[in-house]
Amino acid sequence: MSTSTTTQPAVKMVTLTINDQSVTVPKGTTVLQAALGAGIHIPTFCWHPKLKSVGACRICYVEIEKMPKLQVSCATEATDGMVVKTESDIVKRGRKAVLEFILANHPLDCPTCDKGGECDLQNLTFAHGLDDSRFDFLKRRHIVPGVPSTFDDLRIGPEIMLNRNRCILCYKCVRSNKEAFGEYDIGAFERGNAMEINAAPGEQVANPFSGNLVEICPVGALTNSDWRYKIRVWLTQTTPSIDIFNSSGSNILFYKEDHKNRIFRTISRRNDEIDDGWITDVARYGYQLVHSPDRLQKPLMKKGSKQVPVEWEEAVAFVARRLAEIDDTKGCVCIGGLASPTLDLDSLHSFSKFMRKVIGTNNLDFRIDYRSLPEKPDSAFSTLSSQPFTIAEIDTSDVIFVFGSDLVKEHPNEYLRIRKARNFGRPLVYSVNSFNVKSADVADREFIYAPGTEEVFINGLCLAAIEENPGLSGADGLKRKISPADLNSAAKTCGVSAEDLKALARTLINGKKISFIVGDQVSLSRDREVIAAALCNLNRLVGITSRGQMAALARYADSIGAEKLGLIPNPHPDVKRALTDLWGGFPEMAGYHTEGMFSQMLKGELDAMVILGANPVAMYPDHEAVAETFEKLDFLVVADLFETETTAMADVVLPLASWTEFAGRYVNLEGRIQKAERAIKPLYESKPAYAILADIAAAARKPLFSSAREREEEIEKVLACTTVRPWPGDYLDVRPPAIDKDPAYPIMLIIGDDPHHRCYVTEKAASLVKFCSDAYIELSPELAEKFKVEDGDAVRVESKYGKLMAPVKVSRVLEGDVVFLPRNFSVTRANSLVSRKARIDWVRINKVSG
Amino acid sequence: MKEILKALINVFLKMPQGFVVTLKHVFKKPVTLDYPREKKPMAPRYRGRHYLERYEDGTERCVCCGLCAAACPADAIYMEPEETPNGERKAKVYEINLLRCIFCGFCEEACPEEAIFLGQEYEFSDFNRDSFIWRKEDMLVPHPRKDNPFKRIIRRVRRVYGVPDAAR
Ligand code: SF4
Ligand code: SF4
Ligand code: SF4
Ligand code: FES
Repeated sequence: MSTSTTTQPAVKMVTLTINDQSVTVPKGTTVLQAALGAGIHIPTFCWHPKLKSVGACRICYVEIEKMPKLQVSCATEATDGMVVKTESDIVKRGRKAVLEFILANHPLDCPTCDKGGECDLQNLTFAHGLDDSRFDFLKRRHIVPGVPSTFDDLRIGPEIMLNRNRCILCYKCVRSNKEAFGEYDIGAFERGNAMEINAAPGEQVANPFSGNLVEICPVGALTNSDWRYKIRVWLTQTTPSIDIFNSSGSNILFYKEDHKNRIFRTISRRNDEIDDGWITDVARYGYQLVHSPDRLQKPLMKKGSKQVPVEWEEAVAFVARRLAEIDDTKGCVCIGGLASPTLDLDSLHSFSKFMRKVIGTNNLDFRIDYRSLPEKPDSAFSTLSSQPFTIAEIDTSDVIFVFGSDLVKEHPNEYLRIRKARNFGRPLVYSVNSFNVKSADVADREFIYAPGTEEVFINGLCLAAIEENPGLSGADGLKRKISPADLNSAAKTCGVSAEDLKALARTLINGKKISFIVGDQVSLSRDREVIAAALCNLNRLVGITSRGQMAALARYADSIGAEKLGLIPNPHPDVKRALTDLWGGFPEMAGYHTEGMFSQMLKGELDAMVILGANPVAMYPDHEAVAETFEKLDFLVVADLFETETTAMADVVLPLASWTEFAGRYVNLEGRIQKAERAIKPLYESKPAYAILADIAAAARKPLFSSAREREEEIEKVLACTTVRPWPGDYLDVRPPAIDKDPAYPIMLIIGDDPHHRCYVTEKAASLVKFCSDAYIELSPELAEKFKVEDGDAVRVESKYGKLMAPVKVSRVLEGDVVFLPRNFSVTRANSLVSRKARIDWVRINKVSG
Repeated sequence: MKEILKALINVFLKMPQGFVVTLKHVFKKPVTLDYPREKKPMAPRYRGRHYLERYEDGTERCVCCGLCAAACPADAIYMEPEETPNGERKAKVYEINLLRCIFCGFCEEACPEEAIFLGQEYEFSDFNRDSFIWRKEDMLVPHPRKDNPFKRIIRRVRRVYGVPDAAR
């Protein structure tokens, strides 16, 4: 099981001559890549840097000495002493001929084609093609029966249109779908002249990465409704930005038009260290929410029982006055704040300074949807989540272990990375979850442990490792600290056999380079501290981080940034010191985290709340309790893009500018600071969060920063502190807490994001709504059979805390007594079913008849 | 004495000669036009105000490809495409600012769909600037067309270039 690790012995190099230029490349490189590396351009259609070569289009012809015919450079390996010519007459003749053949069937409908102006075929024909046409027979035409369109366009997915006449059969779409995304919903059918690309029979191209197919199609065969017939590409300008729906921070490029102050589309801005040029549909179409007509346009203020639009000055002055009043009468301990971890660094730091310096409280947090946060600041989980992680290292890992994560929904970018590692190396991939997940299709083996036995499973892994290799240090010390302390009973409790645990332990012990990913099943669990302690033990025993990386991955675009800037009541001591130095002081009080603030609110001991870009009423577990909590508040000010469940309860609502409307910096899960430039001017009267906070602080006569420079310098200084917490010095106690289970509620409920949505905002993006417009109950085929329901039937889901109704979607991956419910839709708020106190959310379902 | 004689000859002989010329012109056809009551037909390739062609069945020829706007040296053309229910491409907004236009005819030359033509119309003075922005609806030829004087020319051009008149 060896792979190309970075520490391999030097690769053999070969030297060849391209256009009289001597080029040295590692053995195995294609002639095309050698030429590109040397800055020599060779036209291509079917070649893609991240896919295997197929040599389908033959436009990349080059002349190689001693070879009788022209060769396709993208599929020819460079060898020593090769003499390559890329611009000789015979090559030019070859290209002309290839273009002529391609154009034999390609319609000349460029005026109506959406790709016009950025089409590879247009460009190459202009550069290399014949001036005249020698064909005078009819072109092949694929007619769509029943659709009276002159262009023969066919809708093959919620967003994607296919024009088979224009297709040049480069297979890039089919290949990328299969190789890079592992999806089979588009394929090539028939043969010879009748060959066509089409959606798989009876299916729609609707996978969460489908937008990429449109982006890489070299011609206008695949287009999407998002950009289709909106504007010509040469009339737009581009702005580099960052995907803020994903914690990896994929690099994207906005196409916008300045006069219209509008973004028209998103394409990827390939960054090999992060995204390899593939972005999710959420990243691609998510920008649409910026232009949603539902955006908040003006500040709103509660007058009487209604919220009425007011001017900024009035709203800001009112907020400053009310906060000062509450501060005077009740003290700053009675004010709290929540900021979304998708805000930029400037906003987050302004927020921290506003809460701590202007108001003087430590009641602030960015963890807006976790259940039961730890009381202690330096917990095992904070160790685990602060560990360094590098996305590109996944490529060269030989053991990849995904623990408690449905990657497609949580970390789609890393999912694609693992797939790539499997395509180009031979890693062992394990996916371990308490229920079957889609992303397990990249795994060699999928293990399912019994619900709520994460820590028992990890303990079992430790015990298996000791049994496999009794020489591991501290084995006895560990056994004393964990229960159950013998392998067989651990295996029995967690439901994974002792043999499997041993096999897993063996690969962890023998792996040369390990990537261990810990996902939301752990991060969001009530007992995340116990599980994290078990994982710390495992790492101490087997030494995973000495041969690779292990981390609970950040969940939002700027989670790491918020953590580093100290947006928690009790930040890392280094951060605290840096902030004290900068501000000449730091609030003395202990401060409450999200959970703590909510209970204080319920007790009536916290009266005012400042919320930036978050919707806890809809996202925090236990909808009813949170709503009740918020009703107790004296004063609530919320800044957001849209009216939400939380803004509905607010005294003042401020329109927030989205990430496209100002330049901001974000820290991705690797700790990489990336900048999203301003694409458009803020729409309506919205303002970035840092500007809002600066205004309020100025109105309170306690200005935050004297200049933007000062703010940046402060951020610079705080970010310079390390927040990586050291692994604990000894084995930690791991005693599994009891699992509460009521036989009346036999089914496990999983709540998460739909693959086409993220949090509560994306339902405002029209294209994403086309993929999924409403909540659904995804249940396993067994359950569907048991309750005699089919796709679309309504079922009632009931837990001890609430109930709701939603249509059924029979799952292709779930098995057993598990249902999944997306949390992204305002009509069906999933958080009403769950409690903050429960480890597992148990529900029962029944069919709604009629 | 001699001078007096000369003057008399001038008066009685040359002056009537002049009058005869005048008199002749009174009965001749005038060379000037009684504009605006009377108008002169322009040359067939005169470049006047634009008009937008239709197919025989009345659909607009223009597909809003943007090439005319790209070719326009005066940046006088603005357009916004849209999708028809059939999934075809057509202009939602198509405007020419006639104050910016220099009547070069490049748009006509650029058009791949033979949709835009510079016509014979040259009278479009007005009192405010806004009325010089001609919209698509203003420029489209009526359908069914009433005696289109340009049809013959278009047909001829098509014949010369061997373009079949796309029957729809
Ligand atoms: S649809 Fe586009 S990407 Fe797919 S084979 Fe045809 S030309 Fe290539
Ligand atoms: S005639 Fe010339 S200046 Fe006028 S709209 Fe056409 S291209 Fe532009
Ligand atoms: S008039 Fe002709 S060139 Fe201009 S947009 Fe329409 S089809 Fe294109
Ligand atoms: S790019 Fe080499 S054959 Fe297509």
